[in-house]
Amino acid sequence: MKTRFLTTAAALTMTTALAAPALAADCPIRIGGLAPLSAPGSVTGGEAMRAAMRIAIDEINAGGGVLGCPVELVVVDTEGLPERGRAVMERLITQDRVVAVGGGYHSSVGLASKNIANDTGIPVVFAETWNDRITADQQRFIFRLAPLSSEVAAIYANFAASVPGVQNVVIVAENTDYGLPASDMTRQGLEAAGITSTIYTVDIGTQDFSGIIQRIRADKPDMIIQVMTGEAAYNFTQQAAEAGIGPGDLPMTCDQNALESAAYWQNVPDGNLCFMNRVGLPTALYTERTTAFEAAYVAATGKDAAESYAMEAYDSIMVIAQAIAEAGSTDGNAVVDALEAITYHGVLGTITFPINTNNTPEQAGVEAKWWHQFPDPAITVVQYQEQGQSSTNAPVVYPPVYQTGDAIWPHQ
Amino acid sequence: MEHSLFFWSVMGWMVVWGAIGGTVTRHAYFMRDLDVTDARRVGVAVGAATGPFGLIPLYFKTPKLTRLWKVAPWFGVLGLFVLAFALSDPGNVCVSSGSFLTSQIANGLIMGTIYGLMALGLALIFSIIGIVSFSHGEFYMIGGMVVYYVTAVLLPGWNPLLAVLMACALTFCVGALFERAFLTPIYDGRVERPIEYSILVTFGLAFFLQYLVQGLGGANPVKADAFIELPRWRWPADGSVIVTSRANITLFDTIFVSTPRLMAAVVSILALAALIWFLFRTWWGKALRAVAQDRQAAAVTGIDPRIMNMLAFGLGCMLAGLAGAVLVQAFSWLPQTGTIPALRSFVIIVLGGLGSLPGAFVGGILMGMIEAAGAGCIPDPTRAASYLPAYGMVVLTLVLLLKPTGLFGRKA
Repeated sequence: MKTRFLTTAAALTMTTALAAPALAADCPIRIGGLAPLSAPGSVTGGEAMRAAMRIAIDEINAGGGVLGCPVELVVVDTEGLPERGRAVMERLITQDRVVAVGGGYHSSVGLASKNIANDTGIPVVFAETWNDRITADQQRFIFRLAPLSSEVAAIYANFAASVPGVQNVVIVAENTDYGLPASDMTRQGLEAAGITSTIYTVDIGTQDFSGIIQRIRADKPDMIIQVMTGEAAYNFTQQAAEAGIGPGDLPMTCDQNALESAAYWQNVPDGNLCFMNRVGLPTALYTERTTAFEAAYVAATGKDAAESYAMEAYDSIMVIAQAIAEAGSTDGNAVVDALEAITYHGVLGTITFPINTNNTPEQAGVEAKWWHQFPDPAITVVQYQEQGQSSTNAPVVYPPVYQTGDAIWPHQ
Repeated sequence: MEHSLFFWSVMGWMVVWGAIGGTVTRHAYFMRDLDVTDARRVGVAVGAATGPFGLIPLYFKTPKLTRLWKVAPWFGVLGLFVLAFALSDPGNVCVSSGSFLTSQIANGLIMGTIYGLMALGLALIFSIIGIVSFSHGEFYMIGGMVVYYVTAVLLPGWNPLLAVLMACALTFCVGALFERAFLTPIYDGRVERPIEYSILVTFGLAFFLQYLVQGLGGANPVKADAFIELPRWRWPADGSVIVTSRANITLFDTIFVSTPRLMAAVVSILALAALIWFLFRTWWGKALRAVAQDRQAAAVTGIDPRIMNMLAFGLGCMLAGLAGAVLVQAFSWLPQTGTIPALRSFVIIVLGGLGSLPGAFVGGILMGMIEAAGAGCIPDPTRAASYLPAYGMVVLTLVLLLKPTGLFGRKA
C-alpha cells in the first residue's frame, strides 16, 4: 500500500512538472529506447531495461503525459552490435520521429550510434554505456547516466588491491569498445598498486571457454576480473567453476549480468561467492523514489529486485520527460538546454549534468570525459554469499564508505 | 614469442620450398609421362618439410606416389612447424607444460567429437539432397531447448536421456515435414533456380525457428542441469590417478575434463556408432548410401529417392538436435545459440570434403584440435581466444589451396 502511494505521489509530482504548459508539440510525443533484446547482446540486461522504460512511460502517461500529450516509447533491439545500433538509431529518428532517445546498454552501440543523433539534433541520455569516449567527445546532444569506464576500472583495481594476498590477476574481457578500454584501464590501475595482470580477450558471443580456462589455470592467478557483458559471462563463470578456478576457489568479479539473480543462478549454479559491481545507490540508502520504482518493477517483472541497469534505463526516460516539460518544447536544442540545467530526483539519486556548455571541462578544470556526465552514480562491489541469494540482499563489501558486510575470501 | 624472427624464418622457408616443390615435382612427373594427380601436393609437402634435401632426390628418382608418399611428408611439415614453435617460444605454456598440453588435446578431442556429430548431419543432407541447409544451427538450438524445457520445466526429475530422445524425435519430425512441404519443388522442376531456392527456404526456416522459440520461451539464457553429477572421490588416497568433483574429472593430476562435456562426447560417439550401424547394416541405410552414390541407379533398383530425401533431411536435423541436446548441460542456451556452431559446421564439411561423411567427422575432430591449439598456444593472450573462429578458416584456406575438394572429397 505504501509503495503504491509512493508511486502515485511520484507520478503526481511528475504531472505538475510535465503536464502544465501544453505547448506546441506533435502528439503523441515519441521517445526512443535502446536495448539489446537478442544475442549476442546482453538479452537479460536488455529485457530488464525495456521493462523499466515501460514503467517510466506508464508513470508519465498516468500523470497526464508531457506538454499535454501522451508519450509513446519506441523500443528497438540493438543486439549489442554497433552496426545494428547505427541502423536502429537512424530508424528511430527518420521513421519513428522520436524527439529524444534513452536506454542503451553496450558501449560499442553507443559509440556507433551517437554521431547520428548528434548530427540530427536529437538528444540522447545513455543509460548503461560506460566507454569514456561517449561523453569525452563533448557532443552537444549526448548525455550519460552510467558511470565512466575509467571510474569503474579504478574501483576494480582498488578492490583487487584490497583483497588479501593478491599479486597476480587475470582480466578476461570482451573485445568490444567496452571491454578493451575498461580492461586496459584496470590493468593500469593494478600496475599502479604493484599487482601484475594478464588480459585475455574473447568474442562477445563466445560459448566455449575451455581452451582459455586451461590457460588461465596454468597462469595460477590469485584473482580473476571479468569485463564481459552478455551470456558469455555466465558461460565463463560456470566453466571456470567446473575447472576449479571459479568464484568458490579464488576471488572472482562477475560482470553486471550477475545482478540478474534468477538467470545467474540458473546458468551459473556453481557461482556462489562471486563479486559484482553494482551501479546506483546501495539498498540501505534507497530513497523513496527508488523503493517505489523497485516495487513497480518487481510487480511488472516478477523478479526479486531491480538491477542497476533497469534503474538507469528508467531514469534516462524520466529525465528526458522532465527536460521536455521544462523546455516547454520538443525542440532538440531546447531540450538540451533544459538537460544542462536539470535537477532531477530519480531512483539513482539527484541527477545533474554540471559540466556543460556554461561550465566546460576547461573552465571546471576536469577531464573532457565529464562532459554531460552524471557525476555521482554510486559504484559498489557486492558479493553473493549464499546459494540462490538475490543480488539486492547481497552485502556491499566495497568501498568501505558503503560497506554493509564483510567479504568472504574463498582462497583463505 | 621469444625468437619470433626464427619462427617466421622457418615459416618463410617452408612456404618458399613448398611452392618450389609443388612446381618442380609436377614438372618432373609430367616430363617423364608419369601420373601427376598427386605430384603437386606431394612436392609441396616434401619441399616444405625437407627443403632441397628431399626435393632433389624426389625430382630425379620420381618414385611411384604411394599412400605413404601422400601422407608421411605432411607429418614432417607438422613436425617442423611444432619444432620451430617450440624453439621460438620455449616459455610458452604449450611447450613448457606437458599437463597443459595434454588437457588441451583432451578438450580438443571432446569438442571435436561433438562438432563432428553436428557437421555429420549437414554432410548427410548435402550428400543425399545436394543442398546446404542454412537452418542447421536452429535444429541444434531446438535440441537444447527441448532438453531444457523437459528436464527443468515440464517433467523435472525425469531421466534427461528421455529428454534427449524427445529432442531427437522432434527435430527429426520437424526436419522431415519441412523437407516434404518445402524442398520437393527442387526435385520436380517446379522452381527455376533450385540451388537459390534451397538457400532461401532454409534461411527462412532458420529465422522462423529462431523467432518462434524466442516468442514462445523468451530471449533469456537457460541451462539444463548436468545429466550426471559425480560424487567427490579420489583414487588412490593422494588422488594421483583420478579425482572427481561434481562437474570435473582430473586424471593423473594432468588432464582436466568437464563432466558435462565428457558426457556429451560419449553420447556423440554412441550416436556415431549407431549411425554407422544404420548406414551399413540396415536396408534403409544402404538405400541412403545408394542414393548418395547414384540416384538414378538407386531408383532403378526400387529405392524411392524422395523417401530417402526426407529420411536424410530428418536424420541430418536430428544429428544437429542431438548435438544441442547433449550440450545444453554445458553451455547457456539462447534462441540465437545455433548461429556460430552452424557456421563452424559449414567450415567443417568443406574442410572434410563436401558430402563426405567420414570427412565431416574427421573435420570436426580437426576443428576441435585446431581451436584448442589456437586458444592455448597463441602467445598473445589478447588474441588467443578472440580469433577462435579464424583458426579454422586459416586451415581451411590452406587445405583448399592444396586440395580443392577438401580432405576426403571426391571430384564430381
